[in-house]
Amino acid sequence: MSRSSSWLPLLFTRLTWGLFALSLGTLVWSPNLEGAGDVLLRVDGLARVMALMTTFVSGIVHSFSRRYMAGAKRLNAFYGRLFGLTLIVLVLTAANHLVLFAGAWAAMGWVLADLIGHVRGWPQARAASRYARQHFLGGSVLLAAALGLLGGGAEAWTISGVLAAVGTLPTFVVAGAAGLLLLAAMVQSALVPFHRWLLSSMTAPTPVSAFMHAGLVNAGGVLLARFAPVVFELPVVMSAIVLVGGVSALLGQAWMLVQTDVKRQLGASTVAQMGFMVLQCGLGFIPAAIAHLILHGFYKAYLFLASGSAVKHTAPGRPEAPGTGVVGGLVTAAAAMGGGVLFAVLTGKSLTALNSGTVLTVFVVLAVLHATRTLVRRSSLSRPVRIALVPSILLPTLALYAGVYKGMGMLFVDVPSAAAPTALTPLHAVLLVVFGGAYVAVERGWHRASTRLYVALRNTAQPLSTTLLNNRDQYNAH
Amino acid sequence: MPIDRSVVRARIENAAEYVGSLWPLRTFNATNPLLGFEDQPFHRAVQKAGQLFGGRGYPGPQVFRQAWEDGEIDADVLTRCLAEHGITERPEVLLDRMEADAPGHDTVPTDHPLDRVLTKWLAAFLDQGQAAWPMPNREDGFYAAWRTVAPYDGAIPGVDRPSDLPDTVAEAFEAVLESYPEARWEPIFVHHLTALPGWTGFVKWRSRRADTAWQAAHPITLAEYLAVRLTLADRMGAAIAPDRTEELPTNGTDQPVLPRIWLRAWEESYRTRLLDDLRQAPSAAPDADRPAGQLVFCIDTRSEVIRRHIEQQGAYQTHGYAGFFGVPMEHQPYGTEECVKSCPPIVDPKHRVVERPAEQHQAQADRYDWWAQLGRAGTTLLKTLKKNVAAVFGFVEESGGAFGAAMAARTLAPSGLSRLAQSLEERLPSPDAFCEPALDPPPAADAEVENSLPVGLSDEAKVLYAEAAFRLMGWTDTFAPIVVFTGHGSETPNNPYKASLDCGACAGNPGGPNARVLATICNENAVRDALRERGIDIPDDTVFLAGQHNTTTDEIILFVDDDDPPVAPEALDRLRRDLQSAQADAATERVRTLNTAVDEGRPAAAVHETERRAADWAETRPEWGLAGNAAFIVGPRALTRGLDLDGRCFLHSYDWATDEDGTALENIMTGPLVVGEWINTQYYFSTVDNAAYGSGSKVTHNVVGKLGVVQGNGGDLMSGLPLQSLKADDEHVYHRPLRLTALVQAPTDRIEAILDRHAPLAQLFDHEWMHLTVMDPARDDAFVHYQSGGGWHPHPSPDAPTPTAPVSAGGDPEAMDRTPTP
Repeated sequence: MSRSSSWLPLLFTRLTWGLFALSLGTLVWSPNLEGAGDVLLRVDGLARVMALMTTFVSGIVHSFSRRYMAGAKRLNAFYGRLFGLTLIVLVLTAANHLVLFAGAWAAMGWVLADLIGHVRGWPQARAASRYARQHFLGGSVLLAAALGLLGGGAEAWTISGVLAAVGTLPTFVVAGAAGLLLLAAMVQSALVPFHRWLLSSMTAPTPVSAFMHAGLVNAGGVLLARFAPVVFELPVVMSAIVLVGGVSALLGQAWMLVQTDVKRQLGASTVAQMGFMVLQCGLGFIPAAIAHLILHGFYKAYLFLASGSAVKHTAPGRPEAPGTGVVGGLVTAAAAMGGGVLFAVLTGKSLTALNSGTVLTVFVVLAVLHATRTLVRRSSLSRPVRIALVPSILLPTLALYAGVYKGMGMLFVDVPSAAAPTALTPLHAVLLVVFGGAYVAVERGWHRASTRLYVALRNTAQPLSTTLLNNRDQYNAH
Repeated sequence: MPIDRSVVRARIENAAEYVGSLWPLRTFNATNPLLGFEDQPFHRAVQKAGQLFGGRGYPGPQVFRQAWEDGEIDADVLTRCLAEHGITERPEVLLDRMEADAPGHDTVPTDHPLDRVLTKWLAAFLDQGQAAWPMPNREDGFYAAWRTVAPYDGAIPGVDRPSDLPDTVAEAFEAVLESYPEARWEPIFVHHLTALPGWTGFVKWRSRRADTAWQAAHPITLAEYLAVRLTLADRMGAAIAPDRTEELPTNGTDQPVLPRIWLRAWEESYRTRLLDDLRQAPSAAPDADRPAGQLVFCIDTRSEVIRRHIEQQGAYQTHGYAGFFGVPMEHQPYGTEECVKSCPPIVDPKHRVVERPAEQHQAQADRYDWWAQLGRAGTTLLKTLKKNVAAVFGFVEESGGAFGAAMAARTLAPSGLSRLAQSLEERLPSPDAFCEPALDPPPAADAEVENSLPVGLSDEAKVLYAEAAFRLMGWTDTFAPIVVFTGHGSETPNNPYKASLDCGACAGNPGGPNARVLATICNENAVRDALRERGIDIPDDTVFLAGQHNTTTDEIILFVDDDDPPVAPEALDRLRRDLQSAQADAATERVRTLNTAVDEGRPAAAVHETERRAADWAETRPEWGLAGNAAFIVGPRALTRGLDLDGRCFLHSYDWATDEDGTALENIMTGPLVVGEWINTQYYFSTVDNAAYGSGSKVTHNVVGKLGVVQGNGGDLMSGLPLQSLKADDEHVYHRPLRLTALVQAPTDRIEAILDRHAPLAQLFDHEWMHLTVMDPARDDAFVHYQSGGGWHPHPSPDAPTPTAPVSAGGDPEAMDRTPTP
């Protein structure tokens, strides 16, 4: 029945998958850009991995939208922006020239804000778009300032030139630039206190949200990875990154607990995951952070695209899960330890020497611990089934993750300061205690005692008020 | 000054009439969003509703332009209708004028702090399992729960502890209302109840269905809501009473006259074409031979298409009956604790039917249980890991790869993936195959009476439902060897509106279970004996089967145990083959209406396309549902057999000749017809104003509380149907918003008697919420139209020239006397 059809969406979809194929190709063979090309672009491991990730998610989003957005007005504009955004991200990850990098960064924010307000006639969408654009503009200014500081200090126009000169720069330049870079990354990755633009962005069509949460918020992590030598130069900056990431990780996950709509819940979860990713950067593990942002991207894009499945028949109240028992407790402990050891061995971490890598391992152990506890407490399954399920689920998933992790490490040989584990600091210890405490508190339900905490969490994760459709009459689908 | 609580309660009840109940999406219910206005003429009702909700009451100029350009509005009819109002300009000029007069859209988002605070706490209180940490103290009720969070909320200055707020709902009302005279209360309540019509509609539904588990656990009423809202408004300095000007919707005279005339002309054009078609229907010679099979379908408009194609396969007869097959029941699917209501919104369930594994299939059931337990364990695992504060980070990393692969497969190869899933499922036993609905009540000793509903059906009830089915359909003789009761359901993943595509007569659930119950009843010898005594003689060799029509793919599955088929395997094979050909034909017809280019020469391609839609998580238009519905035909299939009605008609079988006292017709007109009107008005209003009465575009939907959708970042709950269920694309409607035309073949005196007895029904016609046309067998099957306020107006015969006399409502010279013709 469609009265207008256009070939542009199909063309852009095919081009995106073509770019994906190209990105796949660069894993095997990567162009060695000589001379002028090298000044503008430099295709290193980080660029290749991000290109692969971005074109994959973008390809999925393009293909998905061919059915999902069918019949929408301004479909060509939608696809044009989606594809344009993909190109911009490709340029951004490979850019070597400082001006090109800053330009791509600003353009990315501009187009993304435009897609958040894709529904032009809807005032709330326009308000959300404007709000996001203000953040992105601010972030771009911070980034430009950082690059100006670095470029001026190092008297270089390229990222490679700046990074090579980091050791010669005065401390205040490095510290200032690192601080500005961290702030720009925080805005882009929607870390606390800049999370609100992301939680107000659900006026975007669902596929845009998928692309945003799986791709564009990651740019904060890419920024830190790209300028790792700058941010890794000073321990105090590393600590600041750990702190900033840890706060967002914890707060985002706490916000998620109290959200009642599926998209804001996913948004709060993204804040948490971006926090964790930045935390990994702060621990000195760029490959781990990139592995995390890729795997989280898959996870979150899937959940956004599947967000229509959230209508369910449910019953109030939940039956208390029975205790794990002695055998269950032993199985749980053994599995958690085993998972940790397995992960450490597979990713080449030392089991005896404690450093910031230990913190990463502890988070893996916590996941294994919780998964095992959940399975072991499942009294509806017979005990042998429960015990058998633990390794049959954990082994392949852990191996897959370790594989991605190792793959990143291998690809990043040409990325400066990719992995620089730091010594354990008191901050790391505090971090572990806080997360361990949060785990126990949530498991025991202690948090539920505080109405004040509940209200605070509910209120601090509210979207911008002008983006809420309280008066349905104002809604306009076009 | 103490206020009279009973007065407050009564005023709230009155005010609540303005708000339509909103069902949770899981049991989506078609209902007229302006149900509370049905006691007023249509044009006045939509005007009042427009003042309260800002909603448009008539199609917009673009919709009329589309209909005009597509030739759906007959030029002669339109010219005549316009002339009756003294308008002589050309239709194109009028379209331009309507477009020029269309109001522009708001450009600045409004932000009322009061609404913002309320939507935040309503979403929190009414949440049905989305948040891992729900609002505290919900078990004390909405007012009390809000009172404990308010001191920390910061919305109200000066509230530091709950005791700074009134203790109870009654005291809250007293504190606010004491400065207003009693006469002002109702306008105040209307003003506040219509401010967030989505949420208040849901509260209204929930408080009146006290049997939902959520309402029992976390009680909320409109009074509690108003107590919170008024207290907030008072303390936040928002207006308590509406402006005098908007206080009570006025009976203005500045009607949107043009849209009203255009709509009427469009409806008349459709009606005239329909009646012309009916006149030209191939006069079906009474079937001389016994048909090979008879299939009973729901009255749903989608059944019309598949019935037509089944009849073309050979010696098949089809009937139309309400899709819950007259069994008012709750259904408990195998392996679940939940009971789902499986009868229309206007009917209360009287029985609970539980699916139990047949004895001979216990081994299969055990195998199924094992896998189901495993599946549930997996789901729980995912859920708990996703929400865990510390474990989630590792979990995301460990599971990300699997999510990526699943995303690629579901997006790039939905059909292949669903075929793979199907072949895996076929290796597992399916509850449909190993279960039977347990009909016989359990022995009195351990009789289960849950929620006061008896489990199973008594012998009297069985006979009652079987007899009612055949009586209403006017089907008392000629039974084929195979009779299939065919329920229907849709197949669509990742779709919050799935229930809107399922059977409306089964409260938004698939109708298969009800079909199985009626088939089982009709196969019982005792029931057949009782029916024989009542003049319905079912031959011994007739076997009743149950089936389900998948409305997304047009596949019809039969619930038959293939190891022990109740009919000859050859007959069963033939039936299945014919149903498959019918599926291909129906799918070929339907894909043409869905934005799809499919090689029409290849029915297999059409079937494949519908199967892709049924499996595709990215598909926002899996099927058209009841879009297009425009008429409700009550009469024998012979009236419409062989006609292509384009899937726009509800078809209820009825034979006036076997219903001398009119009881069957009375049941049809007060039951299924009214449900049809609810469905029709829901489609109508969702189409004419998709923002105020519909739910907007699916692409920005956000599911809230597992029960409904909001747009974008949240706010008021959306109601009605989404844009993609109604429009072919953003600019062209697929559902033509016409009010329902009921067409009944029966003597007019019989209908008048029914209207006399049922004032609310007569009111629907008198107030033009739907139209009534009668094919009067006493007048040689001439068509006559019901006149608003009573009386009949003859339909011009096709040979006669178009009448020039005015046909406006009331005072029509040609209106016939209401005295029945013998």
